Amino acid sequence: MAQLQMADVNGTAGQQLASNGERVDPGGFKLKFCTVCASNQNRSMESHLRLASAHYPVISFGTGSLVRLPGPTITQPNVYQFNKTSYDSMYKELEAKDPRLYRANGLLNMLERNRGVKWGPERWQDWQIGVPRLDHSTDKGSAGVEGGVVDVVITCEERCWDAVVDDLHSRGSLLNRPVHIINVDIKDNHEEALVGGRGILDLADSLNKAAAEERELDPSGFDSGNAASRASFDERVPEIIGEWQERWPNLPATWTLGWF
Amino acid sequence: MAAPVALSIAEQIKQLDDARRLVLSDANYYPQIIQGILPIINREARIELKRWVADFLAETFASPTVPSQQKETLSLIVLETLKSMLENPHEDSAVVKSVVQTAASIYPYVFRWIVNNPYDGPTWERMTAIKSRILRIWDSAPTGVRICCIKFAQRVVLVQTAGPDADQRRGNPVEISLSMVPHNHPLIPPRNLEAEASGLLDRMLGVFQENVSDAVLVNATLNSLSILIRARPRISNKILNVILNFNPLKQANSPMTPKLRVMVKSMEKTTRSLLIHINKRDPQNPLAGRIQQYVERMMKSRMEIFDEPSRKRGPPEPTDGLDPTKRQKLGAQVTNSAASRLYVPPLTPGPHTIAELFTITTDEALKTFDVAQLSEDLVLKIGIPILQRIDSDTLNQAIEGIRNRYQSLNAAQPEELNPETAPLGVEEDDDDYEPDFYSAEDTEQILNKLDTAPPEEPEVRAPDMALGTFTLSPPPPLTPDQAAQIGQGTVSRVFGVMQTLEEPGKKTKAGMNRLAASAYDRDAWITIITRLATRAAAGLEEPSDAIKAEPETSSPLSLFNNIRESLYMYVVEDFRKRIDIAVAWLCEEWYNDRIQMKLGGEAVLHYEKWVLKVLDGIVPYLDARDKVLTRFLSEIPGLSSAVLDRVKGLCRDPAMVNLALTSLLYLVMMRPPVREMALDAVEDVWATYDDAKPIAAKYLSKWRPGFADRLKAPEDDTKDTNDVTAAA
Repeated sequence: MAQLQMADVNGTAGQQLASNGERVDPGGFKLKFCTVCASNQNRSMESHLRLASAHYPVISFGTGSLVRLPGPTITQPNVYQFNKTSYDSMYKELEAKDPRLYRANGLLNMLERNRGVKWGPERWQDWQIGVPRLDHSTDKGSAGVEGGVVDVVITCEERCWDAVVDDLHSRGSLLNRPVHIINVDIKDNHEEALVGGRGILDLADSLNKAAAEERELDPSGFDSGNAASRASFDERVPEIIGEWQERWPNLPATWTLGWF
Repeated sequence: MAAPVALSIAEQIKQLDDARRLVLSDANYYPQIIQGILPIINREARIELKRWVADFLAETFASPTVPSQQKETLSLIVLETLKSMLENPHEDSAVVKSVVQTAASIYPYVFRWIVNNPYDGPTWERMTAIKSRILRIWDSAPTGVRICCIKFAQRVVLVQTAGPDADQRRGNPVEISLSMVPHNHPLIPPRNLEAEASGLLDRMLGVFQENVSDAVLVNATLNSLSILIRARPRISNKILNVILNFNPLKQANSPMTPKLRVMVKSMEKTTRSLLIHINKRDPQNPLAGRIQQYVERMMKSRMEIFDEPSRKRGPPEPTDGLDPTKRQKLGAQVTNSAASRLYVPPLTPGPHTIAELFTITTDEALKTFDVAQLSEDLVLKIGIPILQRIDSDTLNQAIEGIRNRYQSLNAAQPEELNPETAPLGVEEDDDDYEPDFYSAEDTEQILNKLDTAPPEEPEVRAPDMALGTFTLSPPPPLTPDQAAQIGQGTVSRVFGVMQTLEEPGKKTKAGMNRLAASAYDRDAWITIITRLATRAAAGLEEPSDAIKAEPETSSPLSLFNNIRESLYMYVVEDFRKRIDIAVAWLCEEWYNDRIQMKLGGEAVLHYEKWVLKVLDGIVPYLDARDKVLTRFLSEIPGLSSAVLDRVKGLCRDPAMVNLALTSLLYLVMMRPPVREMALDAVEDVWATYDDAKPIAAKYLSKWRPGFADRLKAPEDDTKDTNDVTAAA
């Protein structure tokens, strides 16, 4: 991998845009991301798509026990099982039930987007961390996460952050691999999900810039006393989030460094 | 895998990526690939290659798809490479970071290898060298490497502390612990290992005591501790005590830069998450109370410092709710009016009306007042000024109180879930996912919804707010077999109850004018069970000779014989104490037989059969001084010669002669109707058993007229018998 050339390219300011407005793949070192919300439908999928479109390796999950989508009334949600129901079949079911309602409340649009990203909602707690994900190669953002691990987990609600951290405690951190777990609080509606997705992409760019800088060649070596002169990526994360928070005051963030 | 020199780095990396893709799809290739890539890295290798290999090794030894045994074998191969990369002071820190991760993953496997192969000194030396190198760079390396050193130390502590006894052969590396090491192990004496682990743990926990400002290190430590607390009970208290004395908010006093704010919040939240996790996993732990207090205290201080109410489960914020000045104002009011708290009494369990749900006054007279009687404009006149003047805090408290009531009501009716969702296996579900999609509804939809909504009624029961009711379809009819089985279950349950009930102490005689089984004591249950056995099926049984011939034939009515069998077992289990039960039961049997006979027809009789069975059950266990036999014989309602035969049989044992004859004598004295039968029995004994002759003779001469005379002519007697014998 050519880590050298990309640092200046990858800064948020210096993004190269293709003629259609999409970002050109800058190549180089990339952090691997994972987005998490309650049902792996709205917020996590919006940011999944956004990070994947920016050529980041990304996977996504939900921490709820079931996938819940709004139904005709508040007491009649449409409930599905994780890992077993595809976005496509949900789309077809809801379209058959009441196309007007589900078009009007945005569900069909959302599922339409999701079925273009990956097969179906996945549950965080069922994720076998470290098991290869070669069978997900058609998912958007799957390139780079074949190994089944990520560097940064971004949750979209404090409850999901709690669930992720608690689950990692339960798993016992047997992989010895550090992971940054960051919550970006986004309200669960389509408009906020769009805003949140932009915020998350900005965060990902900032983090990746620091990580890529760290991997620039350092001829002096890690144990040479010079090391302290340049802060490592992990060390810079709180600062990066602090600066990001100034830019996105309406998306309160929480962070910790945990272990897979 | 040795790439030709001509290949560019990018091409080599691409080849390596292909190799990785291969092992990711089939873990069997790992040994080959690992052995292939090790030679390509040496001190002169390009840094891109070194990083690739280090990352690959870290991934391999962490991978859940590689079997534990294979990891153990592979770990021996890579040790030298890891050691040389670590010991190169000019090594790239990304490489070192991955190498330390790899070392943490392989440590338990190398450890297990050494436990089972104590001769392999060189391997252990390599591992020890790696360990001491990591512990040396722990404090000086860049933060990214330091956190991995912390994790490595955590892994060493986990391995070198005794775990609960577990099967060591299992794959789970958590179960590799000091408990596996024999006391006399030449390479790794357990005592030294334990001391080392204890020292490392202290060093890890030092991060909480020093005045460290580095949240990365603190979080890395906190998030690695849960497995130590859970799987290594010996050190869990020590760890928890250190955490409970840690104040993650200490730095909150200094001026808050955005970075410091993130760090302080993060340390507090991470500490709290770990403690909550521990209490959730083991609510019974001795420190649970202290942990709870700590968590609550932290949440309070956090809110004071950051002035940010917990967002969880809160109501959706008002649009201008993010305005910090407004928040401060609200916060200040809350603290000021703490004195005038509004008390909303919680609802009692059970169903409630909507009116009750919203009634917060405790004044009984006010509760009965029906506001609907007031005229509308009067309500307006009163209501509007009240709403204008009401203290917003009081209103909020009232709303909060009602909310709590409503939530407790909802919590009390979890089974009211829509049955359609039941098969999906809803576990304890804490996600209250209620998306705000409703804004997308158009006016017409809302109007439609309002049209279909039921008119408001004042007396709607609160539970009706839940989802529809669920009716269970009736069960399929029982087969006779199932019925008998279930009946048997009921019977054993009753016997279970009887066992637990106290033995009746001195009981007052209730006299004849009482109802049987009216007190729920043991006697009552006995009455119920005996009558169930004797009466319930009376007259329904078929008097069939075939059944007598094959007593094992199971008939649909065998339930009642099952009850008898259970009663029999119950009596025989402890017959000295339960002889009264036997008598009561047999009386019922006898009475029932009488009734059946009186009714005519061919009744199936039970009494005789069960008397003999009970007697047969008791007799082998009698000892010479048992009065039980005497009592039993005198109290059972009917005696037959078969019964007396059993008693006579006792005399085969010389020690029992006295008991048998005393019991018979008692019958002779106290039960005139059977006196002759009993005397015959005594005489039989006299004639049959030599050991019994003197006592039997004594009784007979007293009670049987003419016996003494016969005794006086023993020779004739003998002659007679001899004649008889001869004649026969």
